[in-house]
Amino acid sequence: MDRVEFESVRKIFRHRPALFNWLGRERGGVTIALKDVSFSAGCAEILVLLGPNGSGKTTALKLISTMLLPDAGAVRVGGFDAERDAGRVRRQVGIAVATERSFFPRLSARENLEFFGALDEVSRRERAQRIDAVLRDTGLEEQADTLVMKFSSGMYQRLGIARALVKRPSVLLLDEPTRSLDAANAAHLWTAVRALARQQTTVLLATHNFAEAVAVADRLLLLHRGELLANRPVSDGESAETLRSFYFQMTGEIDEALAPGNRSLR
Amino acid sequence: MTSTIDKLRAIVWRDLLTAIRHRSGFVVTLAGLLIELAAFYFLSRAIGPGFRPGGVEYFPFLMVGTGVYTFFVMSAQAFLSAVQEAQQTGTLEVLMTTSTAPAELLVLSSFSAFAGNLVNLLVYFFAGVAVFRASIHANVLSCVAVLVFSLAIALALGIAAATLQVAFQKGSALLWLLGSGVWFLSGTMFPIQSLPCPLELLARALPLTYAVDGTRQALLEGRSIAAMAPTLAALAGFSLVLLPLALGGLLLSLRRARQDGTLSFY
Repeated sequence: MDRVEFESVRKIFRHRPALFNWLGRERGGVTIALKDVSFSAGCAEILVLLGPNGSGKTTALKLISTMLLPDAGAVRVGGFDAERDAGRVRRQVGIAVATERSFFPRLSARENLEFFGALDEVSRRERAQRIDAVLRDTGLEEQADTLVMKFSSGMYQRLGIARALVKRPSVLLLDEPTRSLDAANAAHLWTAVRALARQQTTVLLATHNFAEAVAVADRLLLLHRGELLANRPVSDGESAETLRSFYFQMTGEIDEALAPGNRSLR
Repeated sequence: MTSTIDKLRAIVWRDLLTAIRHRSGFVVTLAGLLIELAAFYFLSRAIGPGFRPGGVEYFPFLMVGTGVYTFFVMSAQAFLSAVQEAQQTGTLEVLMTTSTAPAELLVLSSFSAFAGNLVNLLVYFFAGVAVFRASIHANVLSCVAVLVFSLAIALALGIAAATLQVAFQKGSALLWLLGSGVWFLSGTMFPIQSLPCPLELLARALPLTYAVDGTRQALLEGRSIAAMAPTLAALAGFSLVLLPLALGGLLLSLRRARQDGTLSFY
């Protein structure tokens, strides 16, 4: 059975101007973030959502995590509907968001993880052991008792991943997980992601980094302006360059690396 | 049940650690309470012993009125600040993806905010009696009964402020209302019988009026539960109506924010 199912999902953001909007220049209207997108992810599969900024990758992850509700269609995790059975879905899903500072600044890394672990209903007996393990896995052991207000961007990002892992989710959502990481830490994360998939975790990873996509993906979803342009497996040994060519061919965007004469920003 | 207690413990521990790590915060609060009490003590002395609203000395009358009013406003403010801070840092979105239901999480968080301010209220009364010799004749059972209902009403006000914050990013509007109109209508500094008839009627429609009056009856006059049945019945009525209304409003506003993608708007 598929662990994550997206069935004709549509998500629209409506921009309602302020009451006295005529005083300023705020624009109303709608943004269609996802247009009838359907896909599924199986047990132990690593699915990479690839696309430029504003393509709908983060919206898709937020819908799975129940942070957002769909306007049409259905999102299911482990057979449970994300709208009607949000509680059951949340118990299965762990999300590492791209927002770096989503922690309590005057608590240490360990105290933050203990807090979120309690809310994720990890028993007190198991919590300390699990927290030690995720701190070790994300390379934050030495900073475990440092207040997070003193953390760098990369440390925040690793702590976000640690937080998502404490509850041992069956579905792990990673939103641009290596954005603030150096090359060594990024490579370490990709190894960890593959190890999680071997332990039957389904991983959905949003990125616009071709190297990251080919390094971890079993399958690739290419999103562009809210539309799903491609849903295909990633073959062993596929290079970032091949994927790059595929991406520009599918999206119709101009690869400026290949067309140095065209310098206009789109 | 064990899980709920564990979550409450985690939330209280987080708030306690955060408060302690603001270092001088507690000392400043304590100094503020003592200065306020001193101001009311000298005000009552200036007015003279002849003014005995409801048959009690003016200083204890002021102490209870301002203490209860401050408890309501500061508790709602503390809870609202916690929600606003969570919106600004992006923590609110992550909290909504934990295994804890949003309503449970917000109610537990508000308990913590109110517990801190309840301690401040008890310190305020203790200092009023010990330092400024306020005369009290407490009936412990009646005090507990008034406190329980007052807590429920304060909880409803805090949740209502959080609802306005999530729905319109304007939770401070309710606090403004409490700070501007409600304080002088609720008998904080003088008996509501001094107000013109229409305003007195308005005052009798406010739950804070009954919380202030009930605390005075229980703490200063030592009235039994039977003797203050009408006040307790009014407090119970307000609790039974306001708490479910506030909770329902909060759930609706959270759902709308998840639909519109505005959980972290502030």
